Amino acid sequence: MSNEEQIWLEQARKGDKAAFGHLIEAYQGPVYNLAYRMLDNAGEAEEAAQEAFIRAYTRLHTYDPAHKFSTWMLSITSNYCIDVIRKRRAILLSLDEPLPPHPALHSDNNKGPEAEMIQTEQQAMVQAMLQELPEEYRQTVILRYWYDLSYEEIAEVMNTTVSAIKSRLFRARRQLAESRLNREAQPVAQTIAQSVVLAV
Amino acid sequence: MSDMEHETYYLLMMGALDDDLDAEQAERLQTHLRLCPPCQREWHALTAIDRLLREAPMLMPAAGFAQRALTRLPDRRHRAWLLAGMYLVLLLSGALPVLAGTWLVTQYGVLVQEPGVLGTLLRALAHTAEVIGTVVAALLTSAGRFVLENPPILG
Repeated sequence: MSNEEQIWLEQARKGDKAAFGHLIEAYQGPVYNLAYRMLDNAGEAEEAAQEAFIRAYTRLHTYDPAHKFSTWMLSITSNYCIDVIRKRRAILLSLDEPLPPHPALHSDNNKGPEAEMIQTEQQAMVQAMLQELPEEYRQTVILRYWYDLSYEEIAEVMNTTVSAIKSRLFRARRQLAESRLNREAQPVAQTIAQSVVLAV
Repeated sequence: MSDMEHETYYLLMMGALDDDLDAEQAERLQTHLRLCPPCQREWHALTAIDRLLREAPMLMPAAGFAQRALTRLPDRRHRAWLLAGMYLVLLLSGALPVLAGTWLVTQYGVLVQEPGVLGTLLRALAHTAEVIGTVVAALLTSAGRFVLENPPILG
């Protein structure tokens, strides 16, 4: 954290919203990216990122300067996203039909530049891959690849042990690799099946 | 080759992806990959995914995000006063019964020393405690049943 950011933090602790605004400007990218990668919806990601900053602001007194501010922010964001995912699941379990998305959270009506960027095939593939993973694996992969955090730092963000993180990353990578191999094998299997049908 | 042996090489592959292998381990993995087609396929899939993830950009929110978040921030000073007020109320709610009890003892302490009055008072207190116990037990039972009937509450 730079000296300037430390000053903003001190001022924000005294209730200076403008100072906290500078911190939002500085960390909006990492916080929003984490929310988007976790939730796969621009509207929900915006809401989650805002909520994460509000929570951080109201809990500034609990922040320990011995740790990185970015790690603390990512921890708040990822915990909030996990809550959102669990609530989604609870709604899906309790209803036969999923609820229509709330207009304020509906991404299609609110496409920003990020949604346009995601249209590229490669980005769509990355998002699809991430959504295949259980949320704890997804969280680990995102923190490792986009934030370049060490295993120790990821463990700190996710409030777990380094060995648990290693195990999650190992399983996540293998699951993604298996899924890729299966996708690659499918066209071959289909071609063989078609040849057999034609031969018969 | 057994699954256990493959597992050893999967671990080496993870180490390689994290750039965490020493020269001897890297050489061992390379040699194995040349000889084992299933591991070779796995390694190609792993490196392709690794590259895809490393190349994925950091997404930014729509313009004006900071301003929108800022307008939703609560007032910390107002919040601090509110909390202080709540603590004061809680403190007084605890202190007031003690003060009231002390006053009652000083006013009616002589009467309470009468054996008949003391016995009645103790019985009344015991009955009150019993009623409170029943109410609390009923509340806890209902809460427990509610949680069991609504599994999402437990996550």
